[in-house]
Amino acid sequence: MALLEIRHISKNFGGIKAIADFSLEAEAGQIHGIIGPNGAGKTTIFNTISGVYQADSGSVVLSGEDITRLPQYKITRLGIGRTFQNIRIFRGLTIEENVLCAFDPQSKYSVFGGLIPTPKRFKEEKRGRELARKYLEVVGMADKKDERPENLSYGNQRKVEIARALMCEPKVLLLDEPAAGLTPTEVMELTDLIKRISVEFGFAILLIEHRLDLVMSISDLIHVQNFGETIAVGTADEVQHNQAVIEAYLGAEQ
Amino acid sequence: MSFQILINGISTGTVYALIAIGFALVFNILKFSNFSYGATMTASAFIAYFLVASKGWGLVPTLICSALAGALISLIGEFVGFRRILKNHSPSTYFFVSSITLGSLYEGLVTLKAGTNFYVYPNFFETPTIQLFQTVISKENIIMLVISVAALLALAFVIQKTSIGRAIRAVSFDRDTAQLMGINATLIIQAVFIISGIFGGLAGCFLGIKYTLTATMGSLVVKGFIASVIGGLGSLTGAVIGAMLLGIMEAIFLSTMGSGWATIASFAVMLVFLLIRPQGIAGSNVQEKA
Amino acid sequence: MNLFLYVLTQVCITLVSVCGIYILTGLTGMFSLGSAAFMAIGAYVSGLLVLNTGMNMYLAFLLAIAFAVCVGYVIGFPVVRLRRDYISLVTLGFGESIAQLILLLSQYTGGAFGLIGIPRRVNVWIALIIAILVIILTALFKCSKYGRQCIAIKSDELAAKAMGINTSRVKMIAFLLSCAMTALAGCLSAFNIGYVGPTDFGWKKSADWVIMVFFGGVNSLTGSIFGGAFLTFLPQYMQALNKYRAVVYAVLVLFILNFKPKGVFGEWELTPKNMRRALMRFNRKQRKVKER
Repeated sequence: MALLEIRHISKNFGGIKAIADFSLEAEAGQIHGIIGPNGAGKTTIFNTISGVYQADSGSVVLSGEDITRLPQYKITRLGIGRTFQNIRIFRGLTIEENVLCAFDPQSKYSVFGGLIPTPKRFKEEKRGRELARKYLEVVGMADKKDERPENLSYGNQRKVEIARALMCEPKVLLLDEPAAGLTPTEVMELTDLIKRISVEFGFAILLIEHRLDLVMSISDLIHVQNFGETIAVGTADEVQHNQAVIEAYLGAEQ
Repeated sequence: MSFQILINGISTGTVYALIAIGFALVFNILKFSNFSYGATMTASAFIAYFLVASKGWGLVPTLICSALAGALISLIGEFVGFRRILKNHSPSTYFFVSSITLGSLYEGLVTLKAGTNFYVYPNFFETPTIQLFQTVISKENIIMLVISVAALLALAFVIQKTSIGRAIRAVSFDRDTAQLMGINATLIIQAVFIISGIFGGLAGCFLGIKYTLTATMGSLVVKGFIASVIGGLGSLTGAVIGAMLLGIMEAIFLSTMGSGWATIASFAVMLVFLLIRPQGIAGSNVQEKA
Repeated sequence: MNLFLYVLTQVCITLVSVCGIYILTGLTGMFSLGSAAFMAIGAYVSGLLVLNTGMNMYLAFLLAIAFAVCVGYVIGFPVVRLRRDYISLVTLGFGESIAQLILLLSQYTGGAFGLIGIPRRVNVWIALIIAILVIILTALFKCSKYGRQCIAIKSDELAAKAMGINTSRVKMIAFLLSCAMTALAGCLSAFNIGYVGPTDFGWKKSADWVIMVFFGGVNSLTGSIFGGAFLTFLPQYMQALNKYRAVVYAVLVLFILNFKPKGVFGEWELTPKNMRRALMRFNRKQRKVKER
């Protein structure tokens, strides 16, 4: 059985089909690219997997467990981490605290410990900070841990968001247009980072991206969406030569 | 249920509908709950009392004065309390604080003028009731019903049929896109505040006629809030339905258990409603975008 | 009683509830217009318990707080799942209902006359100690995982859920803590003045607290406490101001909201680290002045 199985999910918004019968199977260590023109329902797929919306039909199964109807926070805790298209970093917290927030739901001390510093609270806080340091080092932001996220460049904010998603200790990582708004150098860094974390942590990565060069170079499998429908699935090579894709998507861009 | 209770309920319901609509309009366009609305009602009802009613003029001039006062106060509130916050893109919490602060300000000003005394509008009719079949109906209730329904119909016409109504709907749906389409959002927001103020002024005057004028009568705005929660936050149709339901419900509670318990009972109804159907009758879904 | 000590007691009691509002509004971004109703619950329940059973005052405080928390749970349960607006609407309705209830249950509560004859056992020192304890607890809560999760929810509820935060639970914890603190403030007030009246707990009081928190800086506990203390001290010492209190408050806060939206203190907290930094900056300036 695959790590993540998406079986025929559909989602309608007031008569508009945002997703029509989308399926995907991802193994640990794989990178899946999802591409398609604007409004093809790519982000809706992510929102449905991570529980922001409930699928109208179909199911999402993570390591054998059906997570389709679970609330959002439970899905995250079972192992689906994500980033957002328009960066959603918590303002009012430092970078380290932002990353810690993703650890806090797993941190084991009660409300009592929240009001009075118990030994357990010290231990758990220390464990959290060590983990935060580890993941911030992975993305190369450990030296900026006490800064405010709003003072960072766009590219660095993305990195913090990825570190925060890593902190959820996901089995599946959903990256929603991570390269949007980055400079060419930053895109190169990001490509390296995605490859590196995919090898190092061995989770499945689902990647929505408009920069085809990025997607083509790192994805094992590419899903092409158009108006909610999947029009092609295959390796970068196969997709590039698929007639339907060229017409619907690549052709439209030329 | 007797016919009498039904009539009372509907007439109260239409007043609540005015409150709920004025509240929902602003909620729709700026996506926050305007808590200065209650004090706007109070202030305009008092202005109408001191400027017009106490000089012995009739009901209609009083209502007009109250509505105009409401529009003016609401417009000033938009300028003082919300314009800069909108421009600074401050978090929505600031709208909230600004609205309570404005409410506090209006109520404070009214208290300075009126103190903690009670004021009563003069009797506008020589014979306050009419006999219809076997029921006694107060003329005030009928007037309220007629004027409220007229105001609601006028609003429905404006929103559905006129260009300004279309612009209001567009800005409510997505302010940024509407602005790109060449709609002057600031102007539309002002228009909405004026309409909301007119409704607030009318409602304030009616509440003053129905009960008494006090500096704290603005807390009756709670009824409008309950109505919009029951109807579905942000839905205009829902607000009217919710208000009518609440009015009739309250009339029944009032006749069976007295006014104090009626307040508590309608609050309990709202809580239960939120448990069972949080999106309200109209099922409006105010979800954040991902 | 000495005026200063009287005002100090009032400040301490206000600060206890301001801490509650800070957790609810400053940290979590929820607004309650019924906080004062929980103060009423604290005051009436503790007062009635002591008057009718003669039990120990502190035990009565604990029972009153427990009762307020239970009521808070019933009120909060339907709304914590929903948009944060709902909690303001519901608490406003709740405040009005409590005011009615106090009048209706006049055989117990004394109705419009209020509850009289409560022993005046809370003096300025007790109030001061409790206020300091509550402030310390609030500060510790802010830097715990709950504090962080609250700030995350305030900043972006959807992203918070996506990080695995059970937002309903965290919102409920913040709401109940704030209920407990305002109820405690009610207990203190009842046993300080010896009287509880039904008209002291309207939405205006809750609004005043929110205004205090925003005056000092909604993101800073130091700022909120400063706001609470300053806005309580000021009108007591300027009797002329007392009549215009509400208006002056409102105008002050409108100015702050429009021109310094982060409040007087912004996000600055009074921690040893920040103190040292400020001191260093001050020394550097002094040196520069001397060099000139």
